[in-house]
Amino acid sequence: MNSTNGISAVTPSDDLLARIQLKIKQQEKVAPTTVWWIAASIAVLLTLNVALLQKAKTRDNSTSSYLEHTLNQSNQLY
Amino acid sequence: MPKQNVIFEPIYHEFKVMVFNLALHYLQNIEDAEEVTQDVFVKVYHSLAQFQQRSSYKTWIYRITINQCLDFTKKKNSRKRLYLFGQKSENEREYLNTTNFEHPGILMENQEAAAQLFSVINTLTENQKTAFLLSKLDGLSNPEIAEIMEMSISAVESLIFRAKASLQEKLSKKFNEYRKK
Repeated sequence: MNSTNGISAVTPSDDLLARIQLKIKQQEKVAPTTVWWIAASIAVLLTLNVALLQKAKTRDNSTSSYLEHTLNQSNQLY
Repeated sequence: MPKQNVIFEPIYHEFKVMVFNLALHYLQNIEDAEEVTQDVFVKVYHSLAQFQQRSSYKTWIYRITINQCLDFTKKKNSRKRLYLFGQKSENEREYLNTTNFEHPGILMENQEAAAQLFSVINTLTENQKTAFLLSKLDGLSNPEIAEIMEMSISAVESLIFRAKASLQEKLSKKFNEYRKK
């Protein structure tokens, strides 16, 4: 338990501040407007996808009901 | 010029040693501690404009550092799990090297014993570890720790008491196992 006695404070390397400032600058490069544009485009793409899927689903339903109708007519047993 | 640009550098110079050393106590590795220190100050820079001075800069920065250290540990542990079960990556060796005990603030002759002690400290619960490190290594008083951890003083006292008891028990177990060998 006493092995940490006399523990001394350590100073971080001199270039750490420069690295932090670089990281801040890199993060600031992406403007908030760009982020909004990307978010909006993703939203539009998602809506289009959902709309297309809905359309395909309704078309599927109509084809199968047509098939059922014609099959019932031709396979009439009595 | 925005407010954060003016006061950021003085804040960095005032608290860099505090942040780096707390991260070092938490993670016991120079590279990891530097990475966390970087992230802490980037966060401080971005949050300076919203800082409402309800607490001191010291308390606020301590909180950010603790949270950042906990996040870092969680990320590292999940990466470790991925390495164990997933495909072996080329930089695995590099990753494993960074988990080695490396604390430049501890005397050379105490390094081995300290490594053992820290391996046991790492098994404590998050709150116990935080309270213990802040009290024993950073030398903060219980009211200061209570403010940082947003707890009552009695809760902090109990955390430190339980941490010490758990450490003593685990260390004595380890010592007995070592003697048997």
